[in-house]
Amino acid sequence: MRKVLIANRGEIAVRVARTCRVMGIATAAVYSEADAGALHTRVADEAVPIGPAEAARSYLSIDAILAAARRTGADAIHPGYGFLSQSGDFADAVARAGLTFIGPPGDVHRTMGDKKGARRLMAAAGVPVVPGYDGDDQSDAALAQEAARIGWPVMIKPSRGGGGKGLRVVRGDKDFLSALAGSRREARAAFGDDVVVLERLLERPRHLEVQVLADQAGHVVHLLERECSIQRRHQKVVEETPSPALSDEQRLRLCAAGVAAARAAAYVNAGTVEFLLDPSGTFYFLEMNTRLQVEHPVTECVTGLDLVRLQIEVAAGLPLAIAPDTIIARGHALECRLSAEDPWNADLPSAGRILHFSPPEGPGIRFDGGIAAGSEVGIHYDPLLAKLVTWGATRAESIERMADALRRTVVLGVATNLERLQAVVDHPAFRRGELHTGFLEEHLGALQRVACPPAEGLAAAAVALSRASRTPQGARTASDPWESLGPWRLG
Amino acid sequence: MRLVCGDQAIEIDVQDAGGEARVTVAGQTFEMRVETVGPGTFVCSQGDRHQSFHCVRDGDTVHLFWGGRVYRLEEETERSRGSHRHVGGGLEAPMPGKVIAVKVAPGDTVGKGDELVVVEAMKMENAVRAPRAGRVKSVSARVGDMVSPGVVLVELE
Repeated sequence: MRKVLIANRGEIAVRVARTCRVMGIATAAVYSEADAGALHTRVADEAVPIGPAEAARSYLSIDAILAAARRTGADAIHPGYGFLSQSGDFADAVARAGLTFIGPPGDVHRTMGDKKGARRLMAAAGVPVVPGYDGDDQSDAALAQEAARIGWPVMIKPSRGGGGKGLRVVRGDKDFLSALAGSRREARAAFGDDVVVLERLLERPRHLEVQVLADQAGHVVHLLERECSIQRRHQKVVEETPSPALSDEQRLRLCAAGVAAARAAAYVNAGTVEFLLDPSGTFYFLEMNTRLQVEHPVTECVTGLDLVRLQIEVAAGLPLAIAPDTIIARGHALECRLSAEDPWNADLPSAGRILHFSPPEGPGIRFDGGIAAGSEVGIHYDPLLAKLVTWGATRAESIERMADALRRTVVLGVATNLERLQAVVDHPAFRRGELHTGFLEEHLGALQRVACPPAEGLAAAAVALSRASRTPQGARTASDPWESLGPWRLG
Repeated sequence: MRLVCGDQAIEIDVQDAGGEARVTVAGQTFEMRVETVGPGTFVCSQGDRHQSFHCVRDGDTVHLFWGGRVYRLEEETERSRGSHRHVGGGLEAPMPGKVIAVKVAPGDTVGKGDELVVVEAMKMENAVRAPRAGRVKSVSARVGDMVSPGVVLVELE
């Protein structure tokens, strides 16, 4: 492998480029019109445009990505997560073009990307699945009848897709058909397919997942579990490893189920098997993500492994140099997803230009970011800006480091969820490890907004502002720090 | 200078000789030294106590990072005085995005909580719902429109 085309954007494109650089592999970035000048285009060795802002015509366009690979002479493609990362058609098209796809082959994506088929496959392999319906009859009447049989509340899930899109929780038959219509519409828009499965909504479940890795010779290992119970709108917000919920015995069983699932799927490369753990300690297969996970850095922190490097090695045909059950995890790692979501506006996406940005530094801190001062945050893509990861010898230590690091993370110009993240890691129930997927709604539904800084903060801001406004327009020089802020205007 | 945060407009007087500044905030006076240490980055010293902070201006909006929190303030100028809070009975776009469904027409009667318009951003749908029962006065949203927060989509009588 000489040159990897990174078919993604934002923090994951930056992160993949870093490992390639370390391995001596050249990188080519791609960008849409909305991303010209974005951080990921500057971190890669070269960057080529692939189309307009609309993802369907750029990052989701197989033709555009393959044309970029030809143009840059790349011999491999890393898909990152999201976009085309779990597209079987894309994996096949890359292979047909004579390039190496850094991920599982097309068939694996298709098998596991179809929740209906995946549920059936797992049940056949002895991996427990959530009580539900994965049948072929997709008529309104059949689905309504099955939902009533499963028992309310029921979750409607698009059979293809992920990331919470198209998910609907229905609490009674009155709302079922309108929820079904909404789910199908969102699923069609996001995934081009509107088949759904139904699952019983478990009460207060934890979200656990097992990182697996398989080479082309069929060796499968697990890299322990992650807990991702802190979610908002079915999107993970805070993740950690090890999970505070598991005994050693449960951990062994869960990880063994993850390996069994990967084997049943004839899995190759890095993947994640997701489970729900109910309060009684029973776990159920949820789905398999056939790609690198957003939250993979916590696993890297405790195992000392570089998952992107392992992905590249497996894709290049090398055998896994990890024997089963030899993974030693040290300490505890925690990740917070920093997103352009406005906690004072119902957590809706915010947009704008990042006017000031400074990530935290210090012992046990890792910051995977896709932004810089001057970056435009638009509405076309996922609002994830960066991931803040802390490591500690114990869970308490990584949480303390996170609490401090979050207060030293500065993003100005675009509203972010920083205060919500601070509230999570400060919460006594979080510190006690009492997590479930409804944690945010239960404990942190509405944040108390502090609109006014303390008087001394206002005083200091006023001094800073008065200096800037006093500088005459024509007298600015390159050494004027206000000028070097970038291309936006000062009032 | 007047800075608006939340519902309050706060009068601030700055006497800055370049070194020690004397600042009065709503009657409370601070003696402080503010040094610029980088773009948008400052250190505020009061006696032996130092605190770094960040502050940038974008038009009349001031973004301040102080003590681990971000504040969004508005600077009240002659131009902006009185205009930064808009009034009206219109229902606004909750976020930047694209209108994907308009479910009402002028004259329709709606109940509290009814979906009026659906806006999509980042593939997430968000419904604009009626905050109360009433009759639709006007609908300015059209399917396919790109809208920004604050843009009025529907007006109720």
